[in-house]
Amino acid sequence: MRFPWWGRKRQELDEELQSHLQMAARARIERGEDENEAARAARREFGNVGLVNEVTQDQWKQRWLKDFVEDARYGLRRMLKSPGFTAIAVLTLALGIGANTAIFSLVNGILLVSLPYPHPEQLVSVTGAYPKGAFVAMREQIRAMDVGAYAEGHELNLTGFGEPVRLASTSVSAELFSILGARPDLGRTFYPGEDVPGQGNFVILSHALWEQRFGSNVSILGRSIELGGENRQVVGVMPAEFRFPSTKTQVWIPLQNDPRNAVSFWAGDFMPAVGRLRPGSTLGQARTEIRMFQSRVGALFPWPMPASWNAHASVVPLQNGMVADVRARLLILLSAVGLVLLIACSNVANLTLSRAATREKEISIRTALGAARPRITRQLLTESVLQASLGGLLGLGFAREGLVLLKVMLPSDTPRLIETHIDWRVLLFTGALAILTGVVFGLAPALHSSRAALTEALRSGGRGTAVPVSQRLRSCLAIAQVAFAVLLVIAAGLMIRSFWSLSHVNAGFHPEHILTARITPNESFCNDAKRCLTFYRSVLDQVQAFPGNNAALVNTLPLGGRVSKRSLVVEDHDPPPGEDSPLFWLNVVTPGYFRVMGIPLLSGRGFADSDISGAPVTVVTAETARRYWPGQNAVGKHIRLLDDKDWRTVVGVIADVRAYDLHRNAPEWIDGTAYVPYNSAATLEDRRIPAEMTIAIRTASDDSQIATMLRTGVAAINGEVPVSEVKSMGAVVSEAVSTPASTMTLLVVLAALALVLGTIGIYGVLSFLVSNRTREIGIRLALGAQRTDVLRSVLGEGAKLSLTGIALGLAGAFAVMRVLSGELYGVGAADPLTFCSVAVLVAVVALTACYVPARRAMSVDPVVALRYE
Amino acid sequence: MAEKRERYQNRIELLQGTLDLLVLQTLQWGAQHGYGISVAIRNRSGDILQVDTGSLYPALHRLEKQKWIKSEWKISENKQRAKYYRLTATGKKQLTKERSKWAQLSDAIAGVLNPLEDESEP
Repeated sequence: MRFPWWGRKRQELDEELQSHLQMAARARIERGEDENEAARAARREFGNVGLVNEVTQDQWKQRWLKDFVEDARYGLRRMLKSPGFTAIAVLTLALGIGANTAIFSLVNGILLVSLPYPHPEQLVSVTGAYPKGAFVAMREQIRAMDVGAYAEGHELNLTGFGEPVRLASTSVSAELFSILGARPDLGRTFYPGEDVPGQGNFVILSHALWEQRFGSNVSILGRSIELGGENRQVVGVMPAEFRFPSTKTQVWIPLQNDPRNAVSFWAGDFMPAVGRLRPGSTLGQARTEIRMFQSRVGALFPWPMPASWNAHASVVPLQNGMVADVRARLLILLSAVGLVLLIACSNVANLTLSRAATREKEISIRTALGAARPRITRQLLTESVLQASLGGLLGLGFAREGLVLLKVMLPSDTPRLIETHIDWRVLLFTGALAILTGVVFGLAPALHSSRAALTEALRSGGRGTAVPVSQRLRSCLAIAQVAFAVLLVIAAGLMIRSFWSLSHVNAGFHPEHILTARITPNESFCNDAKRCLTFYRSVLDQVQAFPGNNAALVNTLPLGGRVSKRSLVVEDHDPPPGEDSPLFWLNVVTPGYFRVMGIPLLSGRGFADSDISGAPVTVVTAETARRYWPGQNAVGKHIRLLDDKDWRTVVGVIADVRAYDLHRNAPEWIDGTAYVPYNSAATLEDRRIPAEMTIAIRTASDDSQIATMLRTGVAAINGEVPVSEVKSMGAVVSEAVSTPASTMTLLVVLAALALVLGTIGIYGVLSFLVSNRTREIGIRLALGAQRTDVLRSVLGEGAKLSLTGIALGLAGAFAVMRVLSGELYGVGAADPLTFCSVAVLVAVVALTACYVPARRAMSVDPVVALRYE
Repeated sequence: MAEKRERYQNRIELLQGTLDLLVLQTLQWGAQHGYGISVAIRNRSGDILQVDTGSLYPALHRLEKQKWIKSEWKISENKQRAKYYRLTATGKKQLTKERSKWAQLSDAIAGVLNPLEDESEP
């Protein structure tokens, strides 16, 4: 092995040796020898110059490097000599390392890589939600940081540019972009002072929207577009990498901080706030300031605020704030995949041990010839690290594919998912993992082999008799594998059970054969309530004219991700002085809604067409009826929307609907749920009737046909109203479980992998045991043992290993499954049914794996077995 | 080639301890180049010890790596460029150590080779 960086040193050595030769020759000439003769004699005396050169160079190398190169070369030769073994070992490791790398890429991209803004360490998020008024006060009072606020989740119609479309918009305070340090691709961001009424008729486009809708045309800058019925001047286009607060946002518009509009200013959007620490300020200072601010801000509201509002407001690094929800899930996945790697490691360690048994003689001889033990250990370790590195390389390939798959599988609203890729940190992780893996699975066999009893191995003639220590080690590894597999299968089992309960939860409606779509005129369109109601009336008529269709409108579809709030008064339930009136989730529906959605009526009646113009009525859910009128019939009681004059009579009680998510009817801050018919009195918290409605169509026809019909129908009635989010109610429900579904699928895949690897492990140990005991079994059979006894003895050995592993796994699961409890629904973390069935499942699989070698033991031919020696 | 190389290496191993001592001792009288060292050892041993270059140069480079000696290119007395080695402070200490080790060894060997003194005692 030559090292190029020794070029100068080598040249110097040449010179040194040449000078030796010249001096020797000169000495001879001085003694009177002939010049030519002298040079030749000097050279003869010197010896082989090339060789001296080479052995001298050997001294330069570091001892360990020399050894390493030697070991690696030897290891490679050995690996090539048994390609089958190498392939299995490398593939097993590649699977383990690949799976780990893929999951780590996610952890890296989502949790570790800093946010793509300048000085991300200064960026913080204020945990809490503030209406505009509170935010404006915060902006003026907080000294430790510059704060900005944003309200995500708004939608605006873009009209006048071909077909009307619904755009996702985020309203931002004027400084938000400069706080983040985000620069536009084109134009500018907002200037301070542009977030007050009359100053901010501007809009900034996302790169994607600019491309798709405006053909990447630069001339769009400075032009006006019609958004939500208002003209807004396009002042900027953000770069494609800018995705704040999420990938969804297509346009950013300035907030309208208008103190004169008290309802919008103090009760409109409750917005999250972000901040950038000012130079010299610390997170702790910001935190203290926010806590102090929180203690005075309540007094600014035009009405009393409950003490619980933002009671735990604090300041955290922005990165943590953005990914708080996924952190737990990712860490669970990372631990699961780590277990798979451990199983893979012990599997390969087991394989290596079996091979080490056959190598014992070689190693004993080398020890006898004077090879130092540490040297042998190191050589074996080099071999295993080499193997693991190959596995790591292949695993990196797996990880690249796996990451693509993971990105498809994970819910698309996972924050920062799109930014995830394999970077230097992932490569470093994989490299370290490969080396560590090699050391982990190589250490046991290496330590063991180098300790191998010299005389014993030599005496037994290299037949590789089962050395008890080796067998015990192998058994321990097999037990560990089973235990880890049990742990993972239980985790997967719990997720399956939880997912099953979630998807079999009684949602309170029947999602089958329902197509839904959002119909969204501009909000200003419904300033004229009559025009709005007439429009919707015609849409419904158009849809129901189609044979087999039965349709209704609702402002917030169950599981649709929207909540419509309304403060109201419940008869005989006046709030105690100083407290707010109850906040209800008010569903505004057209008559027939309950029938279309299949929501059961528990008592009274649903809405009829006559309710549109008749006496004010309402329908409440069972939970609400129980809460306010326990033990009584709610029908005939009254509620009154705050600021309304007329009381509404409860005419019916319907079953509870899982409207918020599949395990909650409503968020905790909602006091009740009521339904009112869609007419000009059906006002929400902003005292306006809802303009955006969702149509639910129960139909016998093909969804796409109905969708086309709906679009053309709406366009015919009003060409400026977009129809969006066309999807079946079934799709709405499955989106609601997409997060648990993806976690479950991933855990199931990992558990299956663990189970297969663990099974191979048990099988391997027993096969080795049987082949080592062939002679003993032969003797027993020759002496008259029954074949069934042999079978039983081998199976018993296997059962001992599996059951010990299962018991340990169950105990471990009992201890650690609590970490899953946040992800579980309808099943406890120590669910006995899951624990038992997993134990049985793993036992059956393991014993099946034992049966094959046991059969082989049973069919040993005593004659052949004895002749074997 | 490989076989020959092996032979050289074996010789290094056999001579290693003593050759190091001889080299260090030689350098105690001043800086010297490889050729000078081999001549000095030969002369001082009365032509008995012929230092093989295949052992000498590896030894010099090894000692240099251990920082017992330091090398430097200089012009020799007959105007030739040559690499001179000289003893370092740690090299001096090492020399003392090696010398006492050698003394012990030769005493021990002498004791084994001349057992008569011991037997005459009782």
